[in-house]
Amino acid sequence: MSEHDDDHVIEPHTSTLHTRREFLRTSMLGAAVSFTLPVFLQKTFFTLDAMAADSAIQTATGKDSSILVVLQLAGGNDGMNTVIPYADDAYYKARPVIGIPKNTVIPLNDYVGLNPKLVGLKGLYDQGHLSIVQGVGYPNPNRSHFRSTEIWQTASDADVSLPDGWLGRYFDSCCKGADPTVGVAIGNQVPQSFAAEEPTGVSFSRPEQYRWVDGDNSGASQNVYREMNEPEMDPAMLDANDGGSVDSIPGAAAVSRHESTLEFLQRTALDAQMSSDKILSIAKKYPASVSYPRTALGDSLSLVGRMIAGGLATRVYYVSQGGYDTHTNETPTHTRLMGELNDALVAFAQDMTAQGNFGRVMVMSFSEFGRRVTQNASNGTDHGAAAPMFVMGGGVKAGLLGKYPSLDALNAGDLAYNVDFRSVYATVLDKWLRAPSKEVLGRQFPLMGLV
Amino acid sequence: MLTPLHARQWDLQKAAHLLNRAGFGGTPDEIKAFCDMGFDKAVRSVLEGPDDSVQFPKPAWAQPQNLLEMRQQNATLPPDQKKQMQQQLQRQYRQEDIDLVNWWMQRMRYTTNPFREKMTLFWHGHFATSVEKVRESYLMWLQNETLREHAYGNFGLMVKAISRDPAMLIWLDTRQSQINHPNENFAREVMELFTLGIGNYTENDVQQAARAFTGYRMNPQDETFRYAPLQHDEGQKTFLGRTGAFTGDDVMDIILEQPACAAFIARKLWTFYAYDQPDPDLVRALAAEFRGTAYEIRPLMNTIFRSEEFYSPDAVRTQIKSPVQWVVQTSKILGTGLPGPQVTLNALRQLGQVPFAPPNVKGWDGGRSWITTSTLLYRYNMANFAVGTGPLQVDRIRRVANTDNKGPGQNSFQVQNFQVPDLNVVIPGQVRGDPHRLIAYLCFRLYQDPLTAHDTATFVKYVTDHGPNPDETTLRQLLHLMMSTPQYQLT
Repeated sequence: MSEHDDDHVIEPHTSTLHTRREFLRTSMLGAAVSFTLPVFLQKTFFTLDAMAADSAIQTATGKDSSILVVLQLAGGNDGMNTVIPYADDAYYKARPVIGIPKNTVIPLNDYVGLNPKLVGLKGLYDQGHLSIVQGVGYPNPNRSHFRSTEIWQTASDADVSLPDGWLGRYFDSCCKGADPTVGVAIGNQVPQSFAAEEPTGVSFSRPEQYRWVDGDNSGASQNVYREMNEPEMDPAMLDANDGGSVDSIPGAAAVSRHESTLEFLQRTALDAQMSSDKILSIAKKYPASVSYPRTALGDSLSLVGRMIAGGLATRVYYVSQGGYDTHTNETPTHTRLMGELNDALVAFAQDMTAQGNFGRVMVMSFSEFGRRVTQNASNGTDHGAAAPMFVMGGGVKAGLLGKYPSLDALNAGDLAYNVDFRSVYATVLDKWLRAPSKEVLGRQFPLMGLV
Repeated sequence: MLTPLHARQWDLQKAAHLLNRAGFGGTPDEIKAFCDMGFDKAVRSVLEGPDDSVQFPKPAWAQPQNLLEMRQQNATLPPDQKKQMQQQLQRQYRQEDIDLVNWWMQRMRYTTNPFREKMTLFWHGHFATSVEKVRESYLMWLQNETLREHAYGNFGLMVKAISRDPAMLIWLDTRQSQINHPNENFAREVMELFTLGIGNYTENDVQQAARAFTGYRMNPQDETFRYAPLQHDEGQKTFLGRTGAFTGDDVMDIILEQPACAAFIARKLWTFYAYDQPDPDLVRALAAEFRGTAYEIRPLMNTIFRSEEFYSPDAVRTQIKSPVQWVVQTSKILGTGLPGPQVTLNALRQLGQVPFAPPNVKGWDGGRSWITTSTLLYRYNMANFAVGTGPLQVDRIRRVANTDNKGPGQNSFQVQNFQVPDLNVVIPGQVRGDPHRLIAYLCFRLYQDPLTAHDTATFVKYVTDHGPNPDETTLRQLLHLMMSTPQYQLT
């Protein structure tokens, strides 16, 4: 098996594979690579090459490829107070206290308008950079935060549980062998939507802390650290791992599920090490080019902006804004969140424009559900169903898509969905990321005029 | 069937494994003393630990409040003062929550009965309840005490106690269940997550059980459980194939009769203590024993800890330390106290496990989900702080639940470690002369397992390059390096 490896390692033949291989070749393996490669790395190499050769779709992680920023509004955003059916008396009847006064709504047409705090988003809408998809949901909506979030993250039917996330399946299908920074989650957790057969993606929130802090600043320590956090080349380990697993090479995707806990840790350590150097150096070289609001979301998007400016080979960024579970005294909380959302997105749009990258960046927001139509006894709202999504970017076709759910035809007190969220995903996959949505989502959902 | 381990097979590595899994590990001396007890006595010492509760007096604030009185007082206040009162109460709770996390962490660190604390941690993840919704710190403390009381007692008694637990009454809305509108939250989770597992009941069983759990209330004067007969649905219910005018306890008894219940709990215990995806035969054997003893937990743990399977290669050093385990065990094996409450809380949050604030009613997913690139690097940098080779950047944390809604880094500050490990204790003089001996000794202290020849050589070279008789700086840096490894995350 080793002679094959030799060829593969020395002759990387696609640019997708460049980074990881380059790293392994130069910093870990040195010149004489072929005979002591640990088995799981060999598997990786085989996988990479098999995938690269077979794959109908080549990943492009270069300077010019499109980027998706997924924005999760966690807790269930009140879609009706975000995109408001201000011309409908039923809205004010259902929400005598928390309804947004008609004269403050920013009209989009003679029926719906935006929350008064979303004034910057209205500007983007007018400039042709914001698309608003109304009435998004799915059949048999689930009102549990966990389950509904899971449904959105895995793009499953409501009665089906899938192990992998929709973005993870995209990585599996189109980004095999890519640098681990192909998916970046801002925060400490990797979202369920990144879960994949062949796990990839990194997470961080503070670049300056996203590195191994050297206690004595000596090159000797750095070397030991690096060596210990790369898969080792000890021949004993080769024996221990046994050649039996070589059989699974052509299957490729199945490999990672069977890696041992130590192998899993070693791979994550390698990913951390590879990405931290790059992220740190980008963070140093690229301060934010515009001023962002000092909020959690502002900080997250500012970080995304810096990484994009620095050319991190990322296709999908993931950020979130929490606090939307407004069961009691909703108005002050929701108003603040809308303001933070507006200000952060506007700053991000300015940043991308200033960088000249707005045309290749798309932000897509989602929340696990909207809220009930009728306010509750505590001037808040309980868990509901359909809600709008925002899609923003220089390459986005602006407009009001979908149909606002009728307030006269509620489904158990909730807005009934008109657009399956997977239609939005499918459009983003097919038209934006240029990935086969049918393969990723399991079936073909109708595409929308978003791009 | 489980094969009992023969006493002859008992050795240092097995002793270390049992200490790690049943509790929070130990120092080389502790492992040796534990090993020297012999297998039988060692297992018994784990299972029959002392009640050391007096050493951990409850926090001063852990007292019930008279909610009725508070409400009445509140009603007489003008709106602005009412708001002030509420804000003050919130601040107080937040401070108490931080105190509470620290109280338990200290208890895990210093208890003479680590088995009980580890089991309490298991049950906290099982009956996962968060202060985020419960809000009142006292009730979270009270639930923790209830879990501890039953930690290795009888599972049937524990689930019934939990169904009456005030924090749980709030967490899963039982206290709001109305006779005409039974709330299904508790009824669903008690079967899905606490006893049977999905697929072992129907939607109709959930609705029927919800009717049986009506009438569960909280006494506003002293925050105790109160049964309100007028709010209880006394009608006939058909539940899991049986019909009768069932109460909540009846429903629990019927659940406990299901073979699925014993299997569900036995599998979860095995997964937590030994390894993932146990063989179905092994689960069947454990479940049969569990049912046979009417759900006595301690005998089941005895069987587990005495089985050959528990010490098999599938089990030893195949798990990833949970953040709580990492923090407590690190402090133990370095012979230091826990870092201050803010540093500890930061670590737990950054690493993804804040006690009393599980992400949801499913608890922590655990296993590989503990590790992402950022949590792994945080573990390494936490090690840097723990051994005293560097400061740590931490956020000012104002509340345990959820994250503060401020951007990262806005309230962060650097802390120095003022209680660094005493190297004379952690690395005795007699092992320092020979780099091989030094590394072997530290492998045992840190990993309870040798490294591969290659990794050993890497560290030996590091020490050798620093000349004979490594100084304190080199030794601390060596500790940091050996903890900045995948190996140190394993247990």
